[in-house]
Amino acid sequence: MTEKRVLNCIVPPHILAKLLESSDAEIREAAMRTLLTTMRLQGEREVRATLLGRAAPAEGRRTVYDCRHSTFLPSAVLARSEDGASSGDDSVNRAFDGFGATRQFYLEIMGRNSIDDRGMRLDGYVHRGVDYNNAFWDGQEMVFGDGDGRIFSDFTGSLDVIGHELTHGVTEHTAGLEYHNQSGALNESMSDVMGCLVKQWTMRQTAEDADWLIGAEVFTPGFDGDALRSLKAPGTAYDNDTFGKDPQPDHMDGYLELPDTDEGDNGGVHLNSGIPNHAFYQAAVGIGGYAWEAAGHIWYESLRASTPTTDFQAFADTTVGKAGDLYGSSEQDAVRDAWDHVGISVSSGTARRRPPVSVPGGNGTTAEVARDMDQLLAQVERLRQDLHLPA
Amino acid sequence: MKLTLVESGGLAAGLRLGRPPLVLDLSTLPEADARELADLVSVARQAPAAAESSRRVPDEMSYTITVDDGEAQEALHRSDTTMSQGFAELVDRLHRLASSG
Ligand SMILES: [Zn+2]
Repeated sequence: MTEKRVLNCIVPPHILAKLLESSDAEIREAAMRTLLTTMRLQGEREVRATLLGRAAPAEGRRTVYDCRHSTFLPSAVLARSEDGASSGDDSVNRAFDGFGATRQFYLEIMGRNSIDDRGMRLDGYVHRGVDYNNAFWDGQEMVFGDGDGRIFSDFTGSLDVIGHELTHGVTEHTAGLEYHNQSGALNESMSDVMGCLVKQWTMRQTAEDADWLIGAEVFTPGFDGDALRSLKAPGTAYDNDTFGKDPQPDHMDGYLELPDTDEGDNGGVHLNSGIPNHAFYQAAVGIGGYAWEAAGHIWYESLRASTPTTDFQAFADTTVGKAGDLYGSSEQDAVRDAWDHVGISVSSGTARRRPPVSVPGGNGTTAEVARDMDQLLAQVERLRQDLHLPA
Repeated sequence: MKLTLVESGGLAAGLRLGRPPLVLDLSTLPEADARELADLVSVARQAPAAAESSRRVPDEMSYTITVDDGEAQEALHRSDTTMSQGFAELVDRLHRLASSG
C-alpha cells in the first residue's frame, strides 16, 4: 500500500467535487480524504452548500397556470414562469413560491435535483374547477382548488400541502409505493412528513417547536378544527358536528381495515398514514433538534431503499437499519422506540454494523455525489463524537 | 328522477369518509332547474370516462352519481382525471342546488 495522500486543504470544495469524478482512483480517494478533513476544519454546512450550489441551479423550472375555474387543464393559461414577473394573483404566487421552497429543501437538505432528481420541471395549476375542495398530483403536475369558501379555502395556502403534493412525485420516482393499503398509507405518510419538514425548514423550527399539522391554512375560520391531520397527535385534528372526529389512528391497535376501493380511500391511505406519521414525529422528537436533519435523512434514505409493495413493518426495519448506517446507536434507539410507540416492533437483530468510511465511485452525477455527502457527513459526525471533538 | 352523489378520496379523504351522500329529487325542484339537471345528466351519460391509467392518482377525488328514474338505476363513476367537462358541470350544479335548497 502506498502512503495515503491528502490534497492541500485550501483546494476549494467544488474543485474537490470535480476531482471526485476523476478517472484516476487515487485522485478520487485523495479528494475524498481531503473533503473529510476540510469538513472537519471548516464545518459541514459550508462544504455542503458549495457542493450543492453546483447542482444545476436553473433546473426544476417552475410554471404556474390558471385554470380559470375549468376542470380541463389544457385550457389553462400561463400565469407565471421561472423568469417571469410575479403575478397579481396570490394563488399563483403562493404555488410558485411553495414550489421554490420545496425544490430548495430537496436540493439543499436531501441532495435531490427536483422531483425526478434530474431537474424535472415543476408545473402547477391553480383555480381548478368551481369551489373545488382538493389538491392532487397527477403524475405530471400539481393541481390546486380554491375551496368552497365555507369550509375550505385556497389549497395553495398551506406550504405543507404544496410539499405534500410535490413529494408524491418524489415517491413515484423512487420507491413507487403502490397507492393502496399499507404501501399507500406509507406513500401518504411520506408526503405528510416531507410536507411538514419543508415548512419547518423554511421557518427554522425544531421538532419540539413545530405544530406538526397538515393543511391548517386550507380551512376557513368557519371550520371548527385545527387542520386536516396532525402528526403529533393523529386523531385530534378536528372534532365537530359536521365532520365528526378525526378518524386517524396513532397505533396499530387502531388500524382501519377499509375496502381497497375509491369509496374506501384505497384501503384508508389517508387514515392509516397516521401510524407511520406518528412514528416519524416520535423519532424526530426522540432524536431532538431539527427534524429535517437526522430523522428526515433516515426517512428519505429509507424511501429510496423501499419498493412498490413495502409495508409498515418492512419500512420500519429499513429506517432502523438506516439510522444505524447513517448515524449511530442513539439515533437507532430513538427510531426503534418510535416504531415501538405505534405498535410496530423492530428486533435488534435488524440493526446493521456501521460500514467503514468508503470512497464513493467517481463517475456519479453531482446529485449522487451530494447523496454520498449525506452518508459522509454522518460518518464525520460519528468520528467527531468518537474523538470527543467540539461540534 | 332522483340523483345521488357520493364523493370520496382526495387530500381531505378523512373528512369525506362516512359522510351522507348528496341526494336531489328532481320532482321537488322548480321546473327550470329540473329540466337543466336532466339535460346535464344526459350530457354526462354520453361522455364516457377517459381511459384510466393503471396507476392510481394520489389525492384525486372520485365521484359516483346514481341516476334513478323510478324504473332503473344507473351509476356514473368518474374521477378528477377521468371526468368530462359535462360531468364536472353536473357535479357543480348538484352542489349549488343542494346548498341553496
Ligand atoms: Zn397525498
